[in-house]
Amino acid sequence: KLTGMKGGNKVVVEAHRHEGVFIAKGKEDALCTRNLVPGEAVYNEKRISVQNEDGTKVEYRVWNPFRSKLAAAILGGVDNIWMKPGSKVLYLGAASGTTVSHVSDLVGPTGVVYAVEFSPRSGRDLVNMAAKRTNVIPIIEDARLPARYRMLVGMVDVIFSDVAQPDQARILALNASYFLKSGGHFVISIKANCIDSTATAEAVFASEVKKLQAEQFKPMEQVTLEPFERDHACVVGAYRVPKKPKLAAS
Amino acid sequence: MGRLYILHESASGYGLFIASGIDEIGQNTEAVRNSVTDLNRFGKVVELVAFSPFESALDALNQCNAVSEGQMTDELRNFLEISLPKVKEGKKPKFKLGVSDPKIGSHIFEETKIPCESNEFDLELIRGIRLHFDKLIEGLKPGDLEKAQLGLGHSYSRAKVKFNVNRVDNMVI
Repeated sequence: KLTGMKGGNKVVVEAHRHEGVFIAKGKEDALCTRNLVPGEAVYNEKRISVQNEDGTKVEYRVWNPFRSKLAAAILGGVDNIWMKPGSKVLYLGAASGTTVSHVSDLVGPTGVVYAVEFSPRSGRDLVNMAAKRTNVIPIIEDARLPARYRMLVGMVDVIFSDVAQPDQARILALNASYFLKSGGHFVISIKANCIDSTATAEAVFASEVKKLQAEQFKPMEQVTLEPFERDHACVVGAYRVPKKPKLAAS
Repeated sequence: MGRLYILHESASGYGLFIASGIDEIGQNTEAVRNSVTDLNRFGKVVELVAFSPFESALDALNQCNAVSEGQMTDELRNFLEISLPKVKEGKKPKFKLGVSDPKIGSHIFEETKIPCESNEFDLELIRGIRLHFDKLIEGLKPGDLEKAQLGLGHSYSRAKVKFNVNRVDNMVI
Protein backbone atom coordinates (compact mmCIF):
# COMPACT_ATOMS: atom_id res chain seq x y z
CA LYS A 1 0.00 0.00 0.00
CA LEU A 2 1.39 3.33 -1.06
CA THR A 3 0.15 6.81 -0.38
CA GLY A 4 0.57 9.96 -2.40
CA MET A 5 -0.39 13.57 -1.97
CA LYS A 6 -1.29 15.65 -4.96
CA GLY A 7 -3.27 18.83 -4.96
CA GLY A 8 -4.04 18.23 -1.32
CA ASN A 9 -5.85 14.95 -2.10
CA LYS A 10 -4.64 11.83 -0.44
CA VAL A 11 -4.34 8.98 -2.93
CA VAL A 12 -3.71 5.37 -2.00
CA VAL A 13 -2.46 3.00 -4.69
CA GLU A 14 -3.21 -0.68 -4.25
CA ALA A 15 -2.26 -3.70 -6.31
CA HIS A 16 -5.07 -4.99 -8.54
CA ARG A 17 -6.00 -8.68 -8.68
CA HIS A 18 -4.14 -8.75 -12.04
CA GLU A 19 -0.40 -8.59 -11.37
CA GLY A 20 1.14 -5.39 -12.83
CA VAL A 21 -2.18 -3.49 -12.67
CA PHE A 22 -2.99 -1.04 -9.85
CA ILE A 23 -5.93 0.90 -8.48
CA ALA A 24 -5.55 4.48 -7.29
CA LYS A 25 -8.05 5.11 -4.51
CA GLY A 26 -8.87 8.78 -4.21
CA LYS A 27 -12.07 10.71 -4.60
CA GLU A 28 -12.82 8.25 -7.41
CA ASP A 29 -11.05 4.97 -8.02
CA ALA A 30 -8.89 4.80 -11.13
CA LEU A 31 -7.16 1.93 -12.87
CA CYS A 32 -3.45 2.58 -13.42
CA THR A 33 -0.10 1.04 -14.31
CA ARG A 34 3.33 1.75 -12.86
CA ASN A 35 5.07 4.17 -15.25
CA LEU A 36 8.10 2.55 -16.88
CA VAL A 37 9.32 6.03 -17.87
CA PRO A 38 8.67 8.26 -14.83
CA GLY A 39 8.06 11.89 -15.67
CA GLU A 40 6.57 11.15 -19.08
CA ALA A 41 2.95 10.91 -20.16
CA VAL A 42 2.10 9.20 -23.47
CA TYR A 43 -1.31 10.67 -24.38
CA ASN A 44 -1.78 13.40 -21.76
CA GLU A 45 -3.06 10.89 -19.22
CA LYS A 46 -2.97 11.82 -15.55
CA ARG A 47 0.03 10.70 -13.52
CA ILE A 48 0.08 9.95 -9.80
CA SER A 49 3.26 10.05 -7.78
CA VAL A 50 3.30 8.22 -4.48
CA GLN A 51 5.88 7.88 -1.78
CA ASN A 52 7.02 4.55 -0.38
CA GLU A 53 7.57 4.11 3.33
CA ASP A 54 11.35 4.32 2.71
CA GLY A 55 10.95 7.69 1.00
CA THR A 56 11.44 6.51 -2.62
CA LYS A 57 8.88 7.67 -5.16
CA VAL A 58 6.86 5.63 -7.62
CA GLU A 59 4.85 7.06 -10.47
CA TYR A 60 1.64 5.58 -11.90
CA ARG A 61 -0.29 6.46 -15.06
CA VAL A 62 -4.08 6.47 -15.05
CA TRP A 63 -5.50 3.96 -17.54
CA ASN A 64 -8.65 5.25 -19.22
CA PRO A 65 -11.20 2.48 -20.01
CA PHE A 66 -12.91 4.72 -22.57
CA ARG A 67 -9.67 4.76 -24.56
CA SER A 68 -8.50 1.20 -23.99
CA LYS A 69 -10.43 -2.00 -24.57
CA LEU A 70 -8.08 -3.95 -22.35
CA ALA A 71 -8.77 -1.55 -19.46
CA ALA A 72 -12.51 -1.85 -20.19
CA ALA A 73 -12.22 -5.66 -20.07
CA ILE A 74 -10.39 -5.49 -16.72
CA LEU A 75 -13.09 -3.23 -15.26
CA GLY A 76 -15.65 -5.58 -16.82
CA GLY A 77 -14.29 -8.25 -14.50
CA VAL A 78 -12.31 -10.46 -16.88
CA ASP A 79 -10.92 -13.38 -14.89
CA ASN A 80 -7.44 -13.51 -16.46
CA ILE A 81 -5.61 -11.30 -18.98
CA TRP A 82 -2.64 -13.72 -19.17
CA MET A 83 -0.19 -10.79 -19.08
CA LYS A 84 2.00 -10.10 -16.09
CA PRO A 85 5.49 -8.74 -15.39
CA GLY A 86 7.94 -10.58 -17.69
CA SER A 87 5.32 -11.68 -20.26
CA LYS A 88 5.99 -11.59 -23.99
CA VAL A 89 3.01 -10.12 -25.81
CA LEU A 90 2.18 -9.85 -29.52
CA TYR A 91 -0.20 -6.91 -29.88
CA LEU A 92 -2.15 -6.78 -33.17
CA GLY A 93 -3.78 -3.45 -34.04
CA ALA A 94 -1.51 -1.30 -31.88
CA ALA A 95 -2.83 2.00 -33.33
CA SER A 96 -1.05 5.02 -31.80
CA GLY A 97 0.11 2.93 -28.87
CA THR A 98 -2.02 4.21 -25.99
CA THR A 99 -2.95 0.74 -24.72
CA VAL A 100 0.44 -0.62 -25.81
CA SER A 101 2.09 1.86 -23.43
CA HIS A 102 0.08 0.45 -20.50
CA VAL A 103 0.90 -3.13 -21.54
CA SER A 104 4.53 -1.99 -21.66
CA ASP A 105 4.20 -0.76 -18.03
CA LEU A 106 2.43 -3.97 -17.05
CA VAL A 107 5.03 -6.44 -18.43
CA GLY A 108 7.85 -4.20 -17.19
CA PRO A 109 11.54 -4.20 -18.12
CA THR A 110 11.78 -8.01 -18.36
CA GLY A 111 8.78 -8.31 -20.69
CA VAL A 112 8.46 -7.58 -24.41
CA VAL A 113 5.59 -6.13 -26.45
CA TYR A 114 5.70 -6.72 -30.23
CA ALA A 115 3.32 -4.00 -31.45
CA VAL A 116 1.93 -4.43 -34.98
CA GLU A 117 0.13 -1.57 -36.73
CA PHE A 118 -0.46 -1.15 -40.46
CA SER A 119 -1.45 2.50 -40.75
CA PRO A 120 1.60 4.75 -41.18
CA ARG A 121 -0.28 7.66 -39.60
CA SER A 122 -0.87 5.86 -36.28
CA GLY A 123 2.39 4.01 -36.79
CA ARG A 124 4.35 7.21 -36.50
CA ASP A 125 3.01 7.87 -32.99
CA LEU A 126 3.65 4.24 -32.13
CA VAL A 127 7.29 4.44 -33.25
CA ASN A 128 7.77 7.68 -31.26
CA MET A 129 6.26 6.12 -28.14
CA ALA A 130 8.44 3.00 -28.53
CA ALA A 131 11.58 5.16 -28.75
CA LYS A 132 11.20 5.84 -25.01
CA ARG A 133 10.09 2.33 -24.01
CA THR A 134 12.70 -0.26 -24.82
CA ASN A 135 10.38 -3.19 -24.16
CA VAL A 136 8.18 -2.18 -27.11
CA ILE A 137 9.20 -3.38 -30.57
CA PRO A 138 7.27 -1.39 -33.17
CA ILE A 139 6.29 -3.24 -36.36
CA ILE A 140 4.63 -1.25 -39.12
CA GLU A 141 3.17 -4.08 -41.17
CA ASP A 142 -0.08 -5.75 -42.18
CA ALA A 143 -1.19 -8.18 -39.44
CA ARG A 144 -2.66 -10.34 -42.24
CA LEU A 145 0.87 -11.12 -43.43
CA PRO A 146 2.91 -12.39 -40.46
CA ALA A 147 5.47 -13.90 -42.87
CA ARG A 148 6.52 -10.32 -43.65
CA TYR A 149 7.53 -9.65 -40.02
CA ARG A 150 8.70 -13.12 -39.01
CA MET A 151 12.26 -11.86 -38.51
CA LEU A 152 11.13 -9.33 -35.91
CA VAL A 153 9.06 -11.50 -33.57
CA GLY A 154 9.90 -14.32 -31.16
CA MET A 155 7.59 -16.87 -29.54
CA VAL A 156 5.09 -15.13 -27.26
CA ASP A 157 3.00 -16.04 -24.20
CA VAL A 158 -0.09 -14.16 -25.32
CA ILE A 159 -1.58 -12.41 -28.35
CA PHE A 160 -3.83 -9.41 -27.82
CA SER A 161 -5.85 -8.60 -30.92
CA ASP A 162 -7.82 -5.44 -31.64
CA VAL A 163 -7.83 -5.27 -35.44
CA ALA A 164 -11.59 -4.66 -36.01
CA GLN A 165 -11.64 -6.57 -39.30
CA PRO A 166 -14.30 -9.03 -40.58
CA ASP A 167 -11.64 -11.77 -40.84
CA GLN A 168 -10.07 -11.06 -37.43
CA ALA A 169 -10.38 -14.69 -36.26
CA ARG A 170 -8.32 -15.80 -39.26
CA ILE A 171 -5.76 -13.02 -38.65
CA LEU A 172 -5.38 -14.15 -35.02
CA ALA A 173 -5.04 -17.81 -36.06
CA LEU A 174 -2.40 -17.04 -38.67
CA ASN A 175 -0.30 -15.06 -36.20
CA ALA A 176 -0.73 -17.75 -33.54
CA SER A 177 0.54 -20.41 -35.96
CA TYR A 178 3.79 -18.45 -36.30
CA PHE A 179 4.33 -16.92 -32.90
CA LEU A 180 2.09 -18.22 -30.08
CA LYS A 181 3.47 -20.89 -27.76
CA SER A 182 1.48 -24.08 -27.44
CA GLY A 183 -0.56 -23.62 -24.29
CA GLY A 184 -0.30 -19.82 -24.70
CA HIS A 185 -3.30 -17.51 -24.59
CA PHE A 186 -5.22 -14.98 -26.65
CA VAL A 187 -7.31 -11.94 -25.78
CA ILE A 188 -9.42 -10.65 -28.65
CA SER A 189 -11.66 -7.60 -28.77
CA ILE A 190 -14.68 -8.10 -31.03
CA LYS A 191 -16.64 -5.16 -32.42
CA ALA A 192 -19.93 -6.67 -33.60
CA ASN A 193 -20.74 -4.28 -36.43
CA CYS A 194 -17.25 -4.61 -37.93
CA ILE A 195 -18.05 -8.24 -38.65
CA ASP A 196 -21.74 -8.21 -39.51
CA SER A 197 -23.83 -5.09 -39.08
CA THR A 198 -27.09 -6.94 -39.85
CA ALA A 199 -26.95 -9.59 -37.10
CA THR A 200 -27.40 -8.96 -33.38
CA ALA A 201 -24.22 -8.43 -31.38
CA GLU A 202 -24.79 -11.64 -29.41
CA ALA A 203 -25.12 -13.67 -32.62
CA VAL A 204 -21.89 -12.16 -33.97
CA PHE A 205 -19.98 -12.98 -30.75
CA ALA A 206 -21.27 -16.57 -30.83
CA SER A 207 -20.22 -17.05 -34.45
CA GLU A 208 -16.75 -15.58 -33.78
CA VAL A 209 -16.31 -17.98 -30.85
CA LYS A 210 -17.16 -20.86 -33.22
CA LYS A 211 -14.57 -19.62 -35.72
CA LEU A 212 -11.94 -19.52 -32.98
CA GLN A 213 -12.77 -23.06 -31.88
CA ALA A 214 -12.18 -24.24 -35.45
CA GLU A 215 -8.63 -22.78 -35.30
CA GLN A 216 -7.19 -24.68 -32.32
CA PHE A 217 -8.31 -22.01 -29.88
CA LYS A 218 -10.20 -22.84 -26.72
CA PRO A 219 -12.31 -19.82 -25.70
CA MET A 220 -12.56 -19.73 -21.90
CA GLU A 221 -14.46 -16.56 -21.09
CA GLN A 222 -16.29 -13.65 -22.65
CA VAL A 223 -16.93 -10.23 -21.13
CA THR A 224 -18.87 -7.29 -22.51
CA LEU A 225 -17.08 -3.94 -22.76
CA GLU A 226 -20.22 -2.00 -21.79
CA PRO A 227 -20.52 0.74 -20.62
CA PHE A 228 -17.22 1.84 -22.17
CA GLU A 229 -17.81 0.51 -25.69
CA ARG A 230 -21.12 -0.34 -27.34
CA ASP A 231 -21.62 -3.84 -28.83
CA HIS A 232 -18.08 -4.94 -28.05
CA ALA A 233 -17.00 -8.13 -26.34
CA CYS A 234 -13.67 -9.43 -25.24
CA VAL A 235 -13.00 -13.16 -25.59
CA VAL A 236 -10.12 -14.80 -23.74
CA GLY A 237 -8.80 -18.33 -24.13
CA ALA A 238 -5.98 -20.77 -24.74
CA TYR A 239 -4.16 -22.07 -27.83
CA ARG A 240 -3.29 -25.67 -28.67
CA VAL A 241 -4.13 -26.84 -25.19
CA PRO A 242 -2.14 -30.02 -24.58
CA LYS A 243 -4.27 -33.09 -24.16
CA LYS A 244 -4.34 -34.24 -20.57
CA PRO A 245 -2.38 -37.45 -20.16
CA LYS A 246 -4.67 -40.36 -19.41
CA LEU A 247 -4.57 -41.31 -15.79
CA ALA A 248 -3.33 -44.78 -15.12
CA ALA A 249 -6.06 -47.08 -13.92
CA SER A 250 -5.76 -47.61 -10.22
CA MET B 1 13.53 -39.96 -48.37
CA GLY B 2 16.48 -37.58 -48.28
CA ARG B 3 17.63 -35.21 -45.62
CA LEU B 4 15.57 -32.28 -44.46
CA TYR B 5 17.23 -28.95 -43.72
CA ILE B 6 15.42 -25.96 -42.24
CA LEU B 7 16.16 -22.28 -42.84
CA HIS B 8 15.33 -19.88 -40.01
CA GLU B 9 15.67 -16.15 -40.57
CA SER B 10 16.13 -14.29 -37.26
CA ALA B 11 16.91 -10.68 -36.33
CA SER B 12 20.47 -11.75 -35.39
CA GLY B 13 21.26 -13.75 -38.51
CA TYR B 14 20.47 -16.72 -40.72
CA GLY B 15 20.37 -20.18 -39.15
CA LEU B 16 20.45 -23.50 -40.98
CA PHE B 17 19.28 -26.61 -39.13
CA ILE B 18 19.01 -30.28 -39.97
CA ALA B 19 16.04 -32.36 -38.88
CA SER B 20 18.13 -35.38 -38.03
CA GLY B 21 15.85 -37.17 -35.61
CA ILE B 22 13.07 -37.13 -38.13
CA ASP B 23 12.93 -40.90 -38.61
CA GLU B 24 12.42 -41.43 -34.92
CA ILE B 25 9.42 -39.16 -34.63
CA GLY B 26 8.11 -39.77 -38.13
CA GLN B 27 6.55 -37.30 -40.54
CA ASN B 28 3.59 -36.87 -38.26
CA THR B 29 2.64 -33.31 -37.38
CA GLU B 30 1.11 -34.33 -34.05
CA ALA B 31 4.32 -36.11 -33.04
CA VAL B 32 6.42 -33.06 -33.97
CA ARG B 33 4.07 -30.81 -32.03
CA ASN B 34 4.62 -32.88 -28.93
CA SER B 35 8.39 -32.90 -29.31
CA VAL B 36 8.64 -29.16 -29.98
CA THR B 37 7.84 -27.86 -26.49
CA ASP B 38 10.54 -29.78 -24.67
CA LEU B 39 14.11 -28.66 -25.54
CA ASN B 40 15.60 -32.02 -24.52
CA ARG B 41 13.44 -33.78 -27.06
CA PHE B 42 13.56 -31.07 -29.68
CA GLY B 43 17.37 -30.83 -29.48
CA LYS B 44 17.49 -34.45 -30.63
CA VAL B 45 15.19 -33.76 -33.55
CA VAL B 46 16.74 -30.56 -34.87
CA GLU B 47 20.44 -29.62 -34.84
CA LEU B 48 22.24 -26.48 -35.90
CA VAL B 49 24.31 -26.83 -39.08
CA ALA B 50 25.43 -23.24 -39.56
CA PHE B 51 24.70 -19.73 -38.32
CA SER B 52 25.61 -16.54 -40.12
CA PRO B 53 25.22 -13.42 -37.97
CA PHE B 54 24.41 -10.15 -39.71
CA GLU B 55 27.42 -7.86 -39.99
CA SER B 56 25.76 -4.58 -39.07
CA ALA B 57 22.42 -2.94 -38.38
CA LEU B 58 22.28 -1.86 -42.02
CA ASP B 59 22.99 -5.40 -43.21
CA ALA B 60 20.23 -6.73 -40.94
CA LEU B 61 17.78 -4.17 -42.35
CA ASN B 62 18.64 -5.08 -45.96
CA GLN B 63 18.16 -8.78 -45.21
CA CYS B 64 14.90 -8.13 -43.38
CA ASN B 65 13.50 -6.03 -46.24
CA ALA B 66 14.34 -8.76 -48.74
CA VAL B 67 13.02 -11.64 -46.61
CA SER B 68 9.82 -9.71 -45.99
CA GLU B 69 9.31 -9.46 -49.78
CA GLY B 70 10.14 -13.15 -50.30
CA GLN B 71 13.47 -12.34 -51.96
CA MET B 72 16.81 -14.11 -51.53
CA THR B 73 19.77 -11.73 -51.12
CA ASP B 74 23.32 -12.49 -52.33
CA GLU B 75 24.30 -12.99 -48.67
CA LEU B 76 21.56 -15.59 -48.14
CA ARG B 77 22.53 -17.31 -51.39
CA ASN B 78 26.17 -17.53 -50.28
CA PHE B 79 25.17 -18.85 -46.88
CA LEU B 80 22.97 -21.59 -48.38
CA GLU B 81 25.46 -22.62 -51.06
CA ILE B 82 28.32 -22.89 -48.57
CA SER B 83 26.31 -24.69 -45.87
CA LEU B 84 24.17 -27.09 -47.89
CA PRO B 85 25.33 -30.11 -49.96
CA LYS B 86 26.18 -29.19 -53.56
CA VAL B 87 23.41 -29.42 -56.13
CA LYS B 88 24.87 -31.16 -59.21
CA GLU B 89 23.49 -30.49 -62.64
CA GLY B 90 21.38 -33.28 -64.07
CA LYS B 91 21.18 -35.09 -60.70
CA LYS B 92 18.26 -35.01 -58.35
CA PRO B 93 19.41 -33.58 -55.00
CA LYS B 94 19.08 -35.93 -52.04
CA PHE B 95 17.89 -33.22 -49.66
CA LYS B 96 15.21 -30.59 -49.24
CA LEU B 97 15.17 -27.18 -47.61
CA GLY B 98 12.17 -26.31 -45.46
CA VAL B 99 11.35 -22.58 -45.42
CA SER B 100 8.75 -20.37 -43.66
CA ASP B 101 7.31 -18.81 -46.78
CA PRO B 102 6.67 -20.52 -50.17
CA LYS B 103 7.52 -17.23 -51.90
CA ILE B 104 11.14 -17.16 -50.72
CA GLY B 105 11.28 -20.92 -51.40
CA SER B 106 10.43 -20.49 -55.06
CA HIS B 107 12.94 -17.65 -55.41
CA ILE B 108 15.70 -19.78 -53.83
CA PHE B 109 14.85 -22.68 -56.14
CA GLU B 110 14.79 -20.51 -59.28
CA GLU B 111 18.24 -19.10 -58.55
CA THR B 112 20.07 -22.03 -57.01
CA LYS B 113 18.05 -25.18 -57.88
CA ILE B 114 17.97 -26.00 -54.16
CA PRO B 115 14.66 -27.85 -53.71
CA CYS B 116 12.48 -26.01 -51.19
CA GLU B 117 9.26 -26.88 -49.42
CA SER B 118 7.00 -25.14 -46.93
CA ASN B 119 4.49 -27.62 -45.58
CA GLU B 120 2.76 -28.04 -42.23
CA PHE B 121 5.59 -30.24 -40.99
CA ASP B 122 8.30 -27.67 -41.83
CA LEU B 123 6.26 -24.95 -40.17
CA GLU B 124 5.99 -27.01 -36.98
CA LEU B 125 9.76 -27.45 -36.89
CA ILE B 126 10.22 -23.70 -37.43
CA ARG B 127 7.91 -23.03 -34.45
CA GLY B 128 10.25 -25.20 -32.40
CA ILE B 129 13.33 -23.36 -33.65
CA ARG B 130 11.70 -20.01 -32.87
CA LEU B 131 10.85 -21.23 -29.36
CA HIS B 132 14.34 -22.54 -28.52
CA PHE B 133 16.38 -20.25 -30.76
CA ASP B 134 18.72 -18.71 -28.16
CA LYS B 135 19.54 -22.17 -26.79
CA LEU B 136 20.23 -23.65 -30.22
CA ILE B 137 22.73 -20.96 -31.21
CA GLU B 138 25.96 -21.08 -29.25
CA GLY B 139 27.12 -17.76 -27.85
CA LEU B 140 23.68 -16.16 -27.95
CA LYS B 141 22.81 -14.98 -24.45
CA PRO B 142 19.23 -14.62 -23.21
CA GLY B 143 18.04 -11.17 -24.23
CA ASP B 144 20.44 -10.84 -27.18
CA LEU B 145 17.79 -11.81 -29.70
CA GLU B 146 15.28 -9.31 -28.27
CA LYS B 147 17.92 -6.58 -28.52
CA ALA B 148 18.45 -7.43 -32.18
CA GLN B 149 14.66 -7.49 -32.77
CA LEU B 150 14.32 -4.11 -31.05
CA GLY B 151 16.95 -2.42 -33.22
CA LEU B 152 15.68 -4.03 -36.40
CA GLY B 153 12.02 -3.35 -35.54
CA HIS B 154 12.80 0.35 -35.18
CA SER B 155 14.82 0.67 -38.39
CA TYR B 156 12.32 -1.40 -40.40
CA SER B 157 9.32 0.53 -39.05
CA ARG B 158 10.89 3.99 -39.32
CA ALA B 159 11.35 3.40 -43.03
CA LYS B 160 7.70 2.33 -43.31
CA VAL B 161 6.23 5.44 -41.69
CA LYS B 162 8.25 7.53 -44.14
CA PHE B 163 7.95 10.76 -42.15
CA ASN B 164 10.66 12.14 -39.98
CA VAL B 165 9.85 10.44 -36.70
CA ASN B 166 11.91 12.97 -34.80
CA ARG B 167 9.43 15.67 -35.68
CA VAL B 168 6.74 15.62 -33.06
CA ASP B 169 3.65 17.28 -34.46
CA ASN B 170 0.54 15.40 -33.51
CA MET B 171 -1.92 16.39 -36.17
CA VAL B 172 -5.45 16.92 -34.97
CA ILE B 173 -8.14 16.83 -37.60
